[in-house]
Amino acid sequence: MYKHPFLRAYLAGIAIPTVLLLVAMTAYTVIRYVYDVPIAIEKVIVFPMAAVPNAWGLWNVLHLAVWQKRRIPIGLFGAALPLLLAPGGYLVTRLLHFTVPPEVFQVSPFALPIGLIVYYLVWKYFVGFLNAELGIA
Amino acid sequence: MSEREVDEIKKLLKREMKPVGKAELPRDLWPAMLEKLSRGAASVPWWDWVLLAGTGVALWLFPGMVPALLYHL
Repeated sequence: MYKHPFLRAYLAGIAIPTVLLLVAMTAYTVIRYVYDVPIAIEKVIVFPMAAVPNAWGLWNVLHLAVWQKRRIPIGLFGAALPLLLAPGGYLVTRLLHFTVPPEVFQVSPFALPIGLIVYYLVWKYFVGFLNAELGIA
Repeated sequence: MSEREVDEIKKLLKREMKPVGKAELPRDLWPAMLEKLSRGAASVPWWDWVLLAGTGVALWLFPGMVPALLYHL
């Protein structure tokens, strides 16, 4: 149980976005194929499918590595992740020539702080819980 | 399987599987388990409830944020 702490941190980190991906993919499938919304999300779906869960896993590994030297609360540490993911997600949309709906740009001044808060809460309570269960908190 | 083979396997098993030695735990783990169970769920501070409520209101007022949020989760 006390072996491979970084592997356990990675697994605890990817668990939440992997589960949420099911919700996102279901919503996407319904929107795209049931309501025929003409937005080609499949062009950029690789970002939430592959990059985000791995980023969560690696971020949790980084938190564990940092934790051994400096005690940063996991909520605050997790809240910093959108500061990397948001530009990354936007970069992917630009590289793949995906047209972001203008409504998203209109709400973007509010979206980043809300994203930070959501990440803070999810990391503090969900990832923190998983870390504690796996003995790496 | 012949008697000789059985003896050979016994010998091999005895050689490879060393005696456990002291099998008892150094301490009783049950009191620690009871203490953990009695602690219950961690209490949520009031500011986290405020943040959660504020997020809910913001998502309700600006539903355009939901897809952007899902994209990054």
